[in-house]
Amino acid sequence: MSFREKSAWISFISLLLAFGAYFGVVGHDLVAPGEHHPHYFILFAALVVAVVILEAVLHIIVAARSPSDAKSPRDEREKLIALKATRPAFYVLLVGSFLAIATMHLGAHVWQLAHAVLFAIWLAELTRFGTQIYLYRRGLSAR
Amino acid sequence: MSVSNRIRRLRFDHGEMTQQQLAERIGVTRQTVNAIELGKYSPSLETAFRIAAVFGVSLEEVFQFEPNAGQK
Repeated sequence: MSFREKSAWISFISLLLAFGAYFGVVGHDLVAPGEHHPHYFILFAALVVAVVILEAVLHIIVAARSPSDAKSPRDEREKLIALKATRPAFYVLLVGSFLAIATMHLGAHVWQLAHAVLFAIWLAELTRFGTQIYLYRRGLSAR
Repeated sequence: MSVSNRIRRLRFDHGEMTQQQLAERIGVTRQTVNAIELGKYSPSLETAFRIAAVFGVSLEEVFQFEPNAGQK
């Protein structure tokens, strides 16, 4: 497995676990009408910092095991995989954004709208890294 | 249409060159060379020419085009 594929796995799993847990915690409050919960912002910010640190540490460990692979620039296949993965992620973000806007018209509070947008971004990023992993595994052949 | 290749055979015939060695000479990762050999990735024209140049053969001796392969 190349360094870039391992990187995609690290990002995918980190985002899935960290923010999956976050939306699991806030999910009930999101759908139920109620007042704003300011501590969720602190929790979210802490999670972002934790994910950044976790990903940095894991990437350093992976890079240390194959330094030449990590240092080399992306080759043509890796660039193409990164590019192709952005397309489905864009559509997920587009649909998610419109659905988030729709919640506003359904009477959602502004913090519910904000979380709907964050949820769409999260799904889009999972789609991007998931598609990269799929293309690394399956290949890019037109067959 | 489908493109097949004889890279694995050519590597063996050229001093049992490894995928890593070929990768370093053409400027891609070992995993990309493996993907090319397995038909999971079709390289760019430049990379295809670089592969042929490493083995000192023509492009057609490395890659073969099969117009009807893979069609349903």
